[in-house]
Amino acid sequence: MSGLRKYVSFARTSLEITFVYRAGFVLNMIGTIFYVVAMFYLWQTVFLGNPGSLGGFTWPEMKAYILVSFLLSSLLTWYDEWVMSQDIREGYVAVDLARPFDFQASRFARAMGPIIFEATSAVGVAAVVALVFGGAALPADPGRAALFVVSCALATIIKFGLVYCVSMTAFWTTSIEGIMVGRSAIQNIFSGALIPLVFFPDWLQSVAAVLPFQAMISTPALVYLGKLDAQSTAVAIGVQVVWAVGLLFLGRLAFRQAVKVVTIHGG
Amino acid sequence: MAVEMHPNRSIVDALGADLRARAHGARRGVYLYFRCLGQQMKAIMAYETDFIVLLLSAVLVQLAGFAVIWAIFQRIPSVNGWTFWQVVMMYALIFVTEGVGSLFFEGTWRLSSLVYTGQFDQMLLRPVSPIVQVLAGAVGFNGLGNLVTGFVLIGIAVTNVPVEWTPGRLLMLAILIVSASVIRVAINLASAASTFWIRSPWSMVPMFVHRLGDFAKYPITIYSYAVQALIVVAVPFAFVSFFPTAWVFGVDAWSLPGLLTPLVAIYAVLMSVWLFRVGLRRYESSGH
Repeated sequence: MSGLRKYVSFARTSLEITFVYRAGFVLNMIGTIFYVVAMFYLWQTVFLGNPGSLGGFTWPEMKAYILVSFLLSSLLTWYDEWVMSQDIREGYVAVDLARPFDFQASRFARAMGPIIFEATSAVGVAAVVALVFGGAALPADPGRAALFVVSCALATIIKFGLVYCVSMTAFWTTSIEGIMVGRSAIQNIFSGALIPLVFFPDWLQSVAAVLPFQAMISTPALVYLGKLDAQSTAVAIGVQVVWAVGLLFLGRLAFRQAVKVVTIHGG
Repeated sequence: MAVEMHPNRSIVDALGADLRARAHGARRGVYLYFRCLGQQMKAIMAYETDFIVLLLSAVLVQLAGFAVIWAIFQRIPSVNGWTFWQVVMMYALIFVTEGVGSLFFEGTWRLSSLVYTGQFDQMLLRPVSPIVQVLAGAVGFNGLGNLVTGFVLIGIAVTNVPVEWTPGRLLMLAILIVSASVIRVAINLASAASTFWIRSPWSMVPMFVHRLGDFAKYPITIYSYAVQALIVVAVPFAFVSFFPTAWVFGVDAWSLPGLLTPLVAIYAVLMSVWLFRVGLRRYESSGH
């Protein structure tokens, strides 16, 4: 049990750090909220001109979609990724390498520490936005809501797996800032974060289908809205599991290679 | 630049001398600005892959936003009467002006940390306007990516609308883009100056204000009056994208305010410099 305890303390410390630097956290959320509100107005106008549904989405469903996307984007924020790559770049990682714990597991614990705080804040903000804009669609039944929570949990693990892999590039390059911005741009397109993937042409949808990004936002959002039948839901969640395990494994592989090349400043 | 009044000089001479001195001061300011910026460029060029990756990432961010607008307009012909290319023009103007801000005036983003750490003292000791030093304090190479993609989008947008391109109209387009960039940089400087009041390295005001620009990526007619007032009057982002677009594309209902853009630019510069100077008077070095 003591094995687990050290990771719990990583998580707790990380939560405390988030509280100390809560300004950074609030900043990140405000940054997204303006965009969310702008999208709400944009879609509101679009639906006013086209009553009924667009791409299979009604206005209340679209509102819910945007808010689910906002919620998932508020988990595991930029802060974790930045800290991880800076630790590598600045050489603090040397201390971690010398200590008796698993590097990936410790980073996972740190990333997950603030997650309840992030989730509750985001749900609160989303609820306010939904109320201002006259409500949004809710999951049809408790079973669907439970599936949504499972899908969100998997999406968060996938996000960690991806962020971890991206951070590993800091062992080889100093261009981490650009790589991170690029990662988030590609993710925004292919995850369905900005617009449901069904709005894209077929070829772009096919590309998105084979990438891990759609499992990060599109899948949980579609599960929430009940856009998938029982069989497709099972497949979609199965795909999420595969990506979660795959990316975690890839991260471990990258780390094993990385420690061979690592040179810490000062020799 | 104080001008001594000589008894045997007329007031006109004195004014002339004053103007010459001011012009000289302005020229020197511009010269020093580019000298400072040049040093920053050298620092960045030392890591060339970094800036190439940053540049490409900026292009990707823009394409992501463009993809959303494009996907929406695949389903519907217009939003509130605004066509695809008009909205693309607004979107592109936001990014072009952001590019100008990052590439040439990124230093505004560093002001709060300079004030917090006390490094700002150095700027006050040098015989150059602190505003020039702040503006030239950093280079954001991602801005080049924004500029290039933004101009490509503007180029495609203006060729896809039925507008007759007279030399006068082209000139006005150039004036509008310059004015929009000036407004953008003035907004950045003014919001950075908030750091003189809020002494925290994590000041949220600049980012908060910057993000308001998200609203101006789309036609302001889709918003409630409160949001419109916010981006037209309080923080004039509407003059960065919406009004210039309305003028260029001859949308009669909104094109007249578009002509005011250069005046708004002058107003924004005066306001931001004034705010900065008021803030500067409050400045106490850290540790006091």
